[in-house]
Amino acid sequence: MNEQRRQILEMLAEGKITADEAERLINALERERLDSAPGAAPRSKPRPRYLRVVMAAADGTGGDGASRLNIRVPIQLLRAGVRLTSLIPPQALTRINAELDKSGVPIDLAQLKPQHLDDLIEHLDELTVDVDDADTKLQVFCE
Amino acid sequence: MIPQLATVRYRRPDGRPLRLYIPILPVLLVLAPLLLPAGLVACVIFRVDPVGALRGAGRLLWALPGTRFEIEDGRTAFLVSVR
Repeated sequence: MNEQRRQILEMLAEGKITADEAERLINALERERLDSAPGAAPRSKPRPRYLRVVMAAADGTGGDGASRLNIRVPIQLLRAGVRLTSLIPPQALTRINAELDKSGVPIDLAQLKPQHLDDLIEHLDELTVDVDDADTKLQVFCE
Repeated sequence: MIPQLATVRYRRPDGRPLRLYIPILPVLLVLAPLLLPAGLVACVIFRVDPVGALRGAGRLLWALPGTRFEIEDGRTAFLVSVR
């Protein structure tokens, strides 16, 4: 048993930290040990920071030029936006749910927790959408 | 990182460009006496926690750097970039 692990267990025995905190600290130690071990597997690819939407359309209308769209949104901004949903007051959620139900979309937004949306954003890095048309090309991806 | 500069570019159909460089922090400081009471009133009206709203707005502001919105249609173009 190494010295740091022993110190954590002593702190736990003395009641200075809780069992959960001790577990977190030991896990952190383990991760540190694995990362610093020689010959450790290389880190996975860097996390994407931006969501990109790129569109290019040739002028098919006989107008004066082509159209181009280039949008770059930081993933962090999406995450911050998603967290704002927790500010929606319950009475507003009830009204939204009622209207959605009336429109034939029976979705209960109260069940949609920020954590779920956060998970969704977390996995956006694997998202790639490519649409190729005769005149238009659209790409949605993370970089 | 707090956003420092927003750039707005607009190219009119006749080709004349318009460029605006907006220093975000000074503009926010100047507008703070208006924005804060307005935000507080809005929170009271819509029954939203003002502290949570302030935190959310701060998070949004901090996440803005790197945002870029560029649209071009023929001779007209519009760009907003935050860094």
